[in-house]
Amino acid sequence: MNRSGARIVMEALVREGVETIFGYPGGVVLPLYDEMLNWPQVRHVLVRHEQCAAHMADGYARATGKVGVCLATSGPGATNLVTGIATAIMDGIPMVAITGNVNSWAIGKDAFQETDIQGITIPITKHNYLVTDINELPKVLAEAFYLANSGRKGPVLVDIPKDVFIAKTEAQFPDKIERRGYKPAGAPAQAEIREAARLIAEAKRPVMIAGAGVLHADAVEELRYFAETTKIPVINSLLGLGSFPRDHELSLGMMGMHGEATGTLAVQEADLVIGLGNRFDDRLTGNTKGFAPKAKILHFDLDPSEIGKTVNPVAWVLGDLKLSLNALNELVGPGDYPEWMDRIRFWQDSFPIIVPEGRFLSRTVLRALNEITNGESIVATDVGQHQMWTAQFYKMKKPRSFLSSGGLGTMGYGFPAAMGAKFARPDEEVWAVVGDGGFQMTLQELQTAVEYNCNVKICLLNNGFLGMVRQWQELFYDNRHSHVAMGSPDFGKLADAYGVKFFRCSRQEDLEATLKGATAHDGPVLCEFVVEMEENVFPMVGPGASNDALVMDPDLIPSEAAHKPGAFETTHAGAVKQ
Amino acid sequence: MNATHHTITALVQNEAGTINRLVSLFRRRGFSLASFNAGDCEDPGFSRLTFIVDGDDATISQCLKQLDKLIDVVECEDLPKEVSVQRELALMRVEPTEDQRQAVYNVVNEFIAKTPRSTPTCIVVEQAADVTDIERLIEALRPYNITEIVRTGVVAMRT
Repeated sequence: MNRSGARIVMEALVREGVETIFGYPGGVVLPLYDEMLNWPQVRHVLVRHEQCAAHMADGYARATGKVGVCLATSGPGATNLVTGIATAIMDGIPMVAITGNVNSWAIGKDAFQETDIQGITIPITKHNYLVTDINELPKVLAEAFYLANSGRKGPVLVDIPKDVFIAKTEAQFPDKIERRGYKPAGAPAQAEIREAARLIAEAKRPVMIAGAGVLHADAVEELRYFAETTKIPVINSLLGLGSFPRDHELSLGMMGMHGEATGTLAVQEADLVIGLGNRFDDRLTGNTKGFAPKAKILHFDLDPSEIGKTVNPVAWVLGDLKLSLNALNELVGPGDYPEWMDRIRFWQDSFPIIVPEGRFLSRTVLRALNEITNGESIVATDVGQHQMWTAQFYKMKKPRSFLSSGGLGTMGYGFPAAMGAKFARPDEEVWAVVGDGGFQMTLQELQTAVEYNCNVKICLLNNGFLGMVRQWQELFYDNRHSHVAMGSPDFGKLADAYGVKFFRCSRQEDLEATLKGATAHDGPVLCEFVVEMEENVFPMVGPGASNDALVMDPDLIPSEAAHKPGAFETTHAGAVKQ
Repeated sequence: MNATHHTITALVQNEAGTINRLVSLFRRRGFSLASFNAGDCEDPGFSRLTFIVDGDDATISQCLKQLDKLIDVVECEDLPKEVSVQRELALMRVEPTEDQRQAVYNVVNEFIAKTPRSTPTCIVVEQAADVTDIERLIEALRPYNITEIVRTGVVAMRT
């Protein structure tokens, strides 16, 4: 049967099981928007800015593991997606971005709203297409979904000229995708698994760093079995949070620039560091010359280019992490590291993350949020201090419950990503933790939340500053505040204007009632917490410094034990000044 | 040729944007690209490319892995000289004086080069050879007023 390009796009969405897409119409995608009316099984969420369509598709993907789909028109519609696509590639998020373009015969003529979105997105997509032949469209769309959600996942953009939406074809979707140049990772080599098991058996002070690859590979159960069998403690990268229950006795939380001290110290003392689907990024390793100085590194990943990219492992296992861990679990036996665990418990006791009492801090709020949700809600964050505190204080129990822009560090991500997660998993409670800076980048989506009754709870930590930038100005630029204080509108009036339920809280006494009130309300809620203006995130490893130069919270009163010989010496905030 | 020069060859599936994507990778990841050459090959719809890349072993290894990760790239390798034929085509336009013309032809004969076109004022010299030979030929012609040089970059094939 002859079908139009627009119809083929809708058929592709249904074939791929896409229930919700996020988009914004415009001239060249009119044929698709017209066709959409015939497909009620695909819900279209009309956003207020295309960047948020991409972030919502990203949140939808992170919360489910399914491909998130966003849609925009040509020119500015397409370029507005760019930040969202770049966010997705850095964190390996499966996404298909569909853009319209001007008629194929007008491409290259600087037509109205023409832009070279294929060229623009080459460095930030896993792959992209400009489809000028209608007969290619079914194959390209099937391939786009396959590429996005296989191997190392990532965004794929399909640019479709207006006349291709209108043209008709008999071409069918392929039954099987074959590309000579594409070989997604499969089972690991048995020799690599044997070598990994040997290194693990030899180790006296092993730790593992579980990254987002555990979630992408759906290897959460395999990781848990591996950890509980071997008794090797589990550290997380930022994006690995959720891959291992934070309330588990073997969980050490996040390590790195603002990770909990224990994980960072453990890696510096370990004799074996097992990376599981993580990419040893600079925020985790600090200066790589000083990273894990006593350890052999054993790296599990599915992407060969990650092996040896930033650190030099002595051994590695290439392959799908679920298959790799399964194979490893057949070879490893029960382990026990009593002395090593004693040392780790000592660090945990000596250098906990703390919330000074008697003050109303971001940390006060996030500690309470963790208690009230019991770590069982989905939490999306923006980027900055609140992101790090959420990573420290939110003890997520379930996979796919922590959504954050780890690689690109995109402010404005949290609120639309939370919405995308809520659309995907309506039965889960979803919180967006944002600051006053980032929230003002994408708050126009309050209207979208209202229109679709997208029941997300916004925890807005308002300190009147771009807090992380202010912290760096304090520590590295003699506390000279340069364009870092940030005014805000009256968020209560703003919420009223949008018709969003609003709470403001500036005292610890009201904290529990506010959070519970937000949870109880059926519909989107904006909770503004007016917190102390100047609060710093600790521990901290200064930029470019080695993880040995870990700076503890100056408010942390070292326990007696920490003064014993051999304990890590606390340094003070001044030590990170350059 | 510099000891850090590596010859990387790749077989790629050719679509709109493929060359752009390949070259963009070198720019984006800071790999130093000395030359590259692309052309049709024995498979319709596929091309073979040759890149000359500067870098230490770790850089070249990362470069190969990043190239291989591109969906378009079917295969790629760092081709050692010993097991390959590596050739470049160069055109050199020389504008010698009347007195120098015979000397130019002597050089051309010595290097077994060609002169596909000559006019009373200029001689176009063509040479397909390995890079060292081409560079020696250029040096030999330099006294006779070279006004333009066009080089294809190396093409390489495993033997």
